[in-house]
Amino acid sequence: MDRGNHSAALSSAWSRYVHLTRHAFKMEFRQKNGLAGLVLFAIASVYTCYQVAGSRADVDAWNSLAWVVLLFSAFNAVSKPWPEDSAEMRAYLVHVVKPQEWILARITFFSLLLSALTCIVFVAFILFLGSEHLNGKQGLSFFLGMQCTSIAMASLLAMIQALAIRANGGFGLIAVLGLPLIIPVILIATRYGMDILNGISFADTAHNLLFLATLSGGFGALGYILFPYLWND
Amino acid sequence: MAHNVWKIGGFALITYVLVMVFVVPMGPGLLELRSTEGTFISEEMERPIPEYFLTGFATHWNEAPDQLSVIVRSQSNLVQLQVIEVLDDTHARIGVSLPYSLPSKSWDVLINHPVDGTLLLENGLFLSDRFIDESLALPALAIEEFAADLPFHFPYQPRILETIRNLMLHVPMWFTMFVLMGIAFVASIKQLATSRSMVEDEKAEASVKAGLLFGILGLITGSVWARFTWGAWWVDDPQLNGALVTVLVYSGYIVLRNSIDNAPLRARLSAVYNLFAFIILIILLMVLPRFTESLHPGKGGNPGFNSYDLDSALRAAFYPAVIGWILIGIWMYRINLRFTRLNKLLK
Repeated sequence: MDRGNHSAALSSAWSRYVHLTRHAFKMEFRQKNGLAGLVLFAIASVYTCYQVAGSRADVDAWNSLAWVVLLFSAFNAVSKPWPEDSAEMRAYLVHVVKPQEWILARITFFSLLLSALTCIVFVAFILFLGSEHLNGKQGLSFFLGMQCTSIAMASLLAMIQALAIRANGGFGLIAVLGLPLIIPVILIATRYGMDILNGISFADTAHNLLFLATLSGGFGALGYILFPYLWND
Repeated sequence: MAHNVWKIGGFALITYVLVMVFVVPMGPGLLELRSTEGTFISEEMERPIPEYFLTGFATHWNEAPDQLSVIVRSQSNLVQLQVIEVLDDTHARIGVSLPYSLPSKSWDVLINHPVDGTLLLENGLFLSDRFIDESLALPALAIEEFAADLPFHFPYQPRILETIRNLMLHVPMWFTMFVLMGIAFVASIKQLATSRSMVEDEKAEASVKAGLLFGILGLITGSVWARFTWGAWWVDDPQLNGALVTVLVYSGYIVLRNSIDNAPLRARLSAVYNLFAFIILIILLMVLPRFTESLHPGKGGNPGFNSYDLDSALRAAFYPAVIGWILIGIWMYRINLRFTRLNKLLK
C-alpha cells in the first residue's frame, strides 16, 4: 500500500467519525421535543431540589444535590433508544461504518450533549440554590469538575446504553447496569466538589480530575475494544 | 481419586481452620483499671487508700493469685500497686497509693504473672488531681519478670478481642471472590475471542454466581464484625461501600443474563458487561480505598490486613483458611458449572 492510499484511508475514517457525530446531532435536533424534554427534566429536578432544600442548603447538601441532579440528568439523556440500533439499520450500517467509529461518535455525541446539559444544570443551580458557597474561582473549578464528570459519565453510559438496547432492556436495564458502574465516578466527583467548596485550592485537589480523565480514557478504550462485539451479529 | 485430591485438601483445610477458629484459646490482655470510688483499709495500714478494679481478658490470675503483681509506669518511673484481692481469673481489687506529687498524670499499667507473663495497658491509669512536676524521679524498683507460660493461642488485640477469630472467615471470602471473579474475567475474554461455542460463557456464569455468594458472605461476616468493633452493622466507609457496590455490579450481571433470551447474544453481551464489572471491582476495592481515610484495617495505604500483627498462631490458621476457602470456592464453581450443563442437556 502506498503512502497516499494510507493517508486517504485515515482521513476517510476521520471523516466518517465526524459525519456520524454530526449525524447524531442532526437526529437529536430533528426531534426538538426530546431535547426540550432533557432540558426540562434538568431544570425541573434543580427546581425540585430548591423546593426541598430551599436556598438554605448548606455546603454538604449543595454539593450532593448538584451531583445527584447531574447524575440523573445524564441517565435521562442516555435513556432514549437510537433508531440506528434497530436490527434493520444495523444490518445496513455494518457495511458502511466500522463499529469503532460508531462508538467514538456516540461517546463524542453524549459528551457534548452532557456538557451542554451540565451548563444548564450549573446555571439553574446557581439561580435557584444560590451561589453563597462559591466565589468566582471556586465556581469555575466546580464547573470544570462537572464537565470532566459529564465526559466520564458519557464514555461509560454510551456503552451501557448500547448494551441495554441490544438486550432489549430499556431504561430499567440501563439503570440496573449503569448505576453501580458509575459509582466510582460519582464518588470521585463528590469528593472533588467537597474539596472545592471547603476552600481547598484547585492545585491540591486537581488529582481527582486526573482520576476522572483516567476513568474516561479507560471506559472509552473498553468501549472501543468491546463495542464491535455488541454491534456485529 | 488423584484428580480429586485438591477437593479433599480444601475440605480438610476448612475443617482444620474451623476447629482452630472455635477451639484455640485467646491470649491474655488487660481491659481496664477503673476506680471503684471507694477506699480500702486494713489493720496494718495507717490511712485508707483508693480502691481500683482491674479487669483482664482471658487471663489466669487464679492459678497463682499470690504472684500477681501490678505496676504502673511513666517513662522510667515504676510504682508497685497493692493487690488487695484476686476475685477470679480476670478480676482483681487493687489499692492505688501514689504520692501527691508525681512526674506525670498518665500511667501505663503493667501486670506480671507467672502464667500470663507481662501484660501492658497503655495509659490505663489517669490521675487528674495530682501535683505534676516532670523533673521528679521516684525511687527505683526491682521487679521480678515472668515469661508467659501459655498454650497455643490467638493474640490479644484491643477492641477486637474474641472477634479476631473472624479473620479466618471474613478475609478469605474476599480473596475467594477475587479468584472466582478473575476466573469469570478470563472466561469472558475467551468467550469474546471464540464466539462459536458457549463453553466459556457457562464458565463465566457459574463462576460469577459462586463469587457472588462469597461476596454476600463477606458482607455478612464483615457486618457482624463491624457491629462488634465499630458499634454499627454498617458504617459509611469507602471499603464497605466499594464491597457493596461490587456485589450490586455483579447482581447486574445476573439481571442482564436473565433479560436476554437469545443464547449467543446473551453470551456476548454478558461477557462485555463482565469485563466492565471486573475493572470496576479492581477500581473499587484496590484503587479507591488507597486514597481515602477509612476505618477498615490497613487503609490510607494498603486495603489488606498489614496492620494486624499476624503472629505465628494467626498465620497457622489464616493461610490455610485462605487456601482452603479458595479451593472450596473453585469446587463450588465446578459443581455450579456441571449443574448448568446438565440443566441445558435436560432442556
